[in-house]
Order: sequence, then structure tokens, then C-alpha cells
Amino acid sequence: MKKNKRLLIGGLVILAAISYLVVGGMKEAIVYFVTPSELRAKENSSAGKFLRMGGMVVQGSLQKDLQTLTYKFELTDGTTKFPVIFKGVPPDLFTEGKGAVVEGRIGKDGVFQATTIMAKHAEEYSPHADGKDAAKSFIPAKEAYSK
Amino acid sequence: MTAGLGHISILLAFVLALGGIAIAIIAARAGEARYLAFARAAIFGQFVLVTLAAGALIYGLVSADFSIKYVAFNTTRATPVYYRVTGLWGALEGSLLLWEWILIIFAGIVAWLYRDRHRETLPWVIMIFCIVSAFFLGVVGFLSNPFEIISPIPPDGRGLNPLLEDSNMMTHPPLLYTGFVGLTVPYAFAMAALIVGKLDEAWIVSTRRWTITAWFFLTAGNLVGAWWSYHVLGWGGYWAWDPVENAAFMPWLPATAFLHSIQVQERRRMLKVWNLSLIIVAFSLTIFGTFLTRSGILSSIHAFSSGPVGGFFLGFLAVILLGSFGLVAYRADLLKEQPELDSMVSRESAFLLNNIVLVSALFTIFLGTIFPLLSEAVAGVQVSVGAPYFNSVTVPLFLFLVFLMAVGPMIAWRRASWDNLKRNFLWPASAALALGLGLFVWKVRDFLPLLGFTLLAFVVATILYDTALALRARKRIAGEGVWRGLFTLARRNQRRYGGLVVHLGVVLIMMGIAGSMSYSLEKEATMAVNQELQVGNYRIQFAGLTGSQQPTHFRVEGAFHVFHNGSDAGILRPALKFFPTQQSPIGRAVHQSSLSEDIYLILSGFSEVDRNHATLKVLVRPLVVWMWIGGFVIALGTLVCIAPLGTSVPAEAAGFLEPTAAIYSAEQSEG
Repeated sequence: MKKNKRLLIGGLVILAAISYLVVGGMKEAIVYFVTPSELRAKENSSAGKFLRMGGMVVQGSLQKDLQTLTYKFELTDGTTKFPVIFKGVPPDLFTEGKGAVVEGRIGKDGVFQATTIMAKHAEEYSPHADGKDAAKSFIPAKEAYSK
Repeated sequence: MTAGLGHISILLAFVLALGGIAIAIIAARAGEARYLAFARAAIFGQFVLVTLAAGALIYGLVSADFSIKYVAFNTTRATPVYYRVTGLWGALEGSLLLWEWILIIFAGIVAWLYRDRHRETLPWVIMIFCIVSAFFLGVVGFLSNPFEIISPIPPDGRGLNPLLEDSNMMTHPPLLYTGFVGLTVPYAFAMAALIVGKLDEAWIVSTRRWTITAWFFLTAGNLVGAWWSYHVLGWGGYWAWDPVENAAFMPWLPATAFLHSIQVQERRRMLKVWNLSLIIVAFSLTIFGTFLTRSGILSSIHAFSSGPVGGFFLGFLAVILLGSFGLVAYRADLLKEQPELDSMVSRESAFLLNNIVLVSALFTIFLGTIFPLLSEAVAGVQVSVGAPYFNSVTVPLFLFLVFLMAVGPMIAWRRASWDNLKRNFLWPASAALALGLGLFVWKVRDFLPLLGFTLLAFVVATILYDTALALRARKRIAGEGVWRGLFTLARRNQRRYGGLVVHLGVVLIMMGIAGSMSYSLEKEATMAVNQELQVGNYRIQFAGLTGSQQPTHFRVEGAFHVFHNGSDAGILRPALKFFPTQQSPIGRAVHQSSLSEDIYLILSGFSEVDRNHATLKVLVRPLVVWMWIGGFVIALGTLVCIAPLGTSVPAEAAGFLEPTAAIYSAEQSEG
């Protein structure tokens, strides 16, 4: 009996430690996925939250400044356009009229401040889905093709 | 013609696998050698047929037979022969065929090697192999057929994904599959032991070499994957905690736990249910990994339900889990444990903690990997769980694991006395602390890397100290010098010293990870010709762009003159490759390695107008090269473990896995 009790306590302690790690880690690292329309609808409640937004890069919206590495463009899901600003080097596959997913927060000016741009993942044998699912077949360019 | 031959071979092999299951059961029931011979013949027959099918597909690829859809999708007329052959595992259908091929080769070796042994369990082992083989043959034959015909025949194929055209990438899937399939051997023997009810240590002892070998291939497969990610993908990292990477890594964790905990069972007859569970979980995870990466579920839950392959894998997974754990429950009375833990300060408890840590790591990684799927399926909310989660969860666990890696091999069985602790750990711990202090004084001021490097030093110090004691004993007893002494020690106690060498390799890998995680530098800029960029101790000067037409693509190359601490370190040439079949260019990053750090250059863009500007990303990553060196050290250690050195003392006899202190005193009395 005594042994069982000790085992139980040991197990609970371990479980608590792991739960602590998992919950703590998840809180930091979970990123919600939204479309431009969804984001527009809850723009106020989303302020400051780290999000992932997916859509098409609107034709003709892309302005790039190679000296400062600043990219301004709009993402659309067909109904809503959302302006995005990004500083850095976008992935090779990023271009107008193509799908992209951005990660970041809405800034004070209402522009989405992206810290990462992900372009479409083009692995041959991943089944293609459409609509909202299509956005999930986008993964960061750095992760593309890793298998 | 080729396609027909291949497909018919697969279908015949499938029938033979089903027949093999039946014959194996009859052989086990009747106990007659004649039936067992039939069952073995069923395995050999499958081997011949699957080899024929794989040969047919390779022939189709090499001869560019574009009437086969798989060939048309994975080669072009311009593809070199080497990449045509390796196109066998360039996509889903072919890689499942490769898996089945490796599986049946393993099954063949087992059936041939143990023809005169394990009379009672071998039929069941063959049955398990036939079940797994039938599953894969069913998938390849009916659901994901690599021999599908395409019409009209295209004039040229589409070709392999250019990123896969890398000689190291081509070794990654076979290594990984060999590791996965290798785990089938201990799994099959475990199930056979459960069915027969012979639950002593026999199944563990007879599959030990297989387990170690499978573990090595799993490790190598993951490392080569990381290497490819670092060298070819060109983002400067080696591990992104991508679900596909996790799928390959997850089986490694229970397999590692299993390798350690079976020693407790061999030595103390404890942890029987636990060991069975570990091998069941490890084997299931190999199937789960394929399900995860190949069913399309990662891109969308809905994509998964539309394809048959995913459901088939999930069903098979359910059968394995229910069947295996059902058997464990059925044999519960035979699995009652007698001995209990004597003390928390003992080898057993170090191994137990090691297992708990590894299983916890598995659990947390599993959760992070499937959480987005669950969230979408249950709540309809799309989320992603990024690398920060996996890092924050696994870093503390792995740090603790490093500590155990120092303690476990040296601490005494049953109950460690103060004397034992002092003798084995006083000097190594002091040395590690001194090194930690030195690092602090030098410049390492952050807590995690400081703790990490100190613990890693502790592991190395315990191993060196222990080996030094043993060598001193060899010198006194037999007058052997260092090399001769090392050889004798390794030969007498292969598993212990092989294991210690593997630990050293793991330490090197962790050193690379700790260094590059904690002290990387990163900078990106658009540069004009002759402009300079300073990153850490490196000064980089942009020398200009050149374009050239290559056989398969157009290449734009930037030349960057690198100076390290003011001295010339040569010119690095990162490039962008434009393939006609691809919409966007593919980056070719370059790097220069040294033992202390890598400098890594990525050309991310250039101005197409004046061709005088280039956008460059520079990374400085300390100690990365030690990860690859660690891989070779692990290979060496594995060889020491499994090499048939003609050990004079049987491994099962007393003395194996004993800390040096014990051998030392034993040899003192001997001398």
C-alpha cells in the first residue's frame, strides 16, 4: 500500500510538471489562423494578438523597397482586402496574384505588421483543398519540402 | 509491360502474404517443421516478388518509361541515372514500395537467420511480418499504385522536385525506413513471446542487435534530414519542428527509452509490461508517422477524409494498438512483477527516470503535433503550434536527460552507497563545475546555455574518468597501454563501451544544438557592388552577380568576399536557380564551416534592372559542425556495440553493463 501511494504521488508530480510545461508552452506558441474577412470583423478584439492570416496577394498592390527591405501589399480572400507591411526577405514563392500566409499583429494604423511571410507549399503529393483549407496547405518557406 | 509485371508481382505477393499468415498459424499450432518451412517459403516468395516489383519500377524510371504515371511525374529525359533510381522514393507510391521492400528483406533475414532457433516463437514472428507486409502490399497494390498507367503518354516527364535532387537527401528516406522497419523485428518477437506466453528475457536478448541497429538508422535518418534541411533548404536552420520532422523523430524517443529499460529487465526482471508497451508504441509510431505525412491530413482534415490511404492507415493503427495491448492484458498474470525498486538512488531508478523523461518528451511533441488537427476537427478553429512551444517544452526535459546520461552509466545497481557516488562522481562533477565557471568568466552568461554546457561536460568527464580508471587497471593487470587497453575493454564489454561512445556522440550533437540555439547571429541587407556588411567577426563584401545557363536551370550567382577578423576567408557564392518547370527560383545557400562556427549566406534577391544590387541574408551559427561529427561518433559507438568481436565473456554473464568500479575491484582480486 505504502509503495502504491508513493508511486501515485510520484506520478502526479510528474504529470503536474509536464502539464505545466505543455500549458505554458502552448500559451506562448499557439497561433490562430484567420482570413482577411474574419480579421476585419473582429479587428478591435484582435488588436495586439499574434495571428496568422492567409489569402491572395492582390494584383498591383505590391510595393517593394529593396533598400530598406520593406514590402507593402494587400491580402484578399475574395471579399475583403487587408493591408500588410513586412520588413525582411519574403520567400522565393511570394508574388502578386499568388497565395501567401502572413504572421504578425495589427498595428495602431490598422495595417497588419507581418513578421513572417509564408508562400505556398508545392509538394507534389499533398492533396489540394480549396477555400479556407487551401490556406493551411501553406507552410513557411523554410519548412517547405522538409520531410 | 514493365508496369504490368510490377503490379502483378505486388498482387501475387499480397496473396502470398495472406497465405503466409494462415500457414504460420498452422505451423505454430501443429508444431511441425514442414509447415514452418512453408511459412518461411512464403516470406522468401514475397521477397522475390517484391524485389521484382521494385526492380520493375526502377527499370521503368531508368528507361524513362513515361507510360507509367509515377515515372512521368518523377523523372524527365534530362534526369541523371542516379536520380532516376532514387526516384523510387521520390513520392508517395514509390516510397511505400521501398518500405515494403525493406520490410520483406528484414523478414527474409530473420526467417533465414533463425531457421534452427526459436522453434516455438518463429511461426508467430513470421505471422506478424506477414500481417505488416500484407498491409503495405494492400496499400501499394490497391490504393496507391506506383504502376498506374497514364494515357496519352507524355513526351517528357515532370521531374523530381529540384530540392530533392541532392545526394544526401536521397539517403534520408532509406535510412529512416530502415530504422522504422528495423523496429518491426523486436515488435514481432515481443508479440510472439506474448502469444506463446514465454515472457522471460529471451525476446529481448535475441532482438537486441536488431534494436540497436534500428535505433542507429533512426538516428542517422533524422540527422541526415537535419543536414539536408541545413545544407539544401537554405533557411539556415536544421530543425523546424515541422509535423513531418516530428513524425520521423517521435519513434526515436520510445526506441531510445526501450534500449535503456530492457537493460533493467535483463538485469533485474523488472519493467516487463513497460518494455512491451514501449516497443508497441515505437512500432505504432512508425505507422502513425507515415499516416501523418502521407495521408494529406496535415494540409487539411478534409483532404484526409477524401483519400482512402489515410483511413486505411488509421484502421491498421487501431488494429495494432488494440491487438497488441489486448495481448498484454491477456497475459497480465504472466507479467506480474516481483522485484521492486530498492532505492531511488540506483541504476534502475536512473533508467526509470530516463524513460519517464523520454516518454514525456514524446507525449509533449505528440500533443503539439496533433493539437492543430484536433482543434480543427473538434472546435473548427484553425491554429498552429510553432517551434517556440516545442523548444520551451523539450529543452528542460532534454537538459535533465543529459544529467541522467552522466549519472546512469556509472551509478550502482540496486542501491548506490555514498562511497560509490563519491568514487564515480566527485572528480567528474568538480571538473564540470570548473568548466562551467570558466565559461561564465569567459563570456557565457545566460543561464540555459551555461547549464547545458556544464551538464554536457559532466557527461564527458564521467566517461573519461571511468575509462581512465579502467585503463589504469588494465595497465596494472596486463601491462597494456592505452590503445591496447581500450581495445580489450571494448571487446570484453562491447555494449557498455559502445554505449558510452554513443553517449559521447549525443553530447556532441547537443553541444551543436545548444551553441546554435543560443548564440546565432542573423542579419539581412540589400547591398550594392563593393558595399560591405559586418556580422559578428565577419566582414562581407559584395563582389558582383553572374548569370549562367546550366543543363537543367538558369543560375544567378552572387560573389561575396568574406573576411574573418580581418583576414581573408575566401569568396562564397550563394545562388538562385531558375527551373523552367518551377514558377519561382530555388535558393542555393552556401556556408563555410569551422569547428567553432559556420558562416551561412543566402542570396534572397537581386535587382533585375541594374544587376548591381543583391539582397543577402547572413547567419553565423556556432558549433553546428559538431552535430554532424556527433553523428559519426554515434555510428562508431553502434559498431562497437554490435560488431562480432568474438567477446570472450558472453554478454549475459555477470559483469556486463557494470560500472568500472565493479570490474575494477573484480580485476584487482583477479590480479
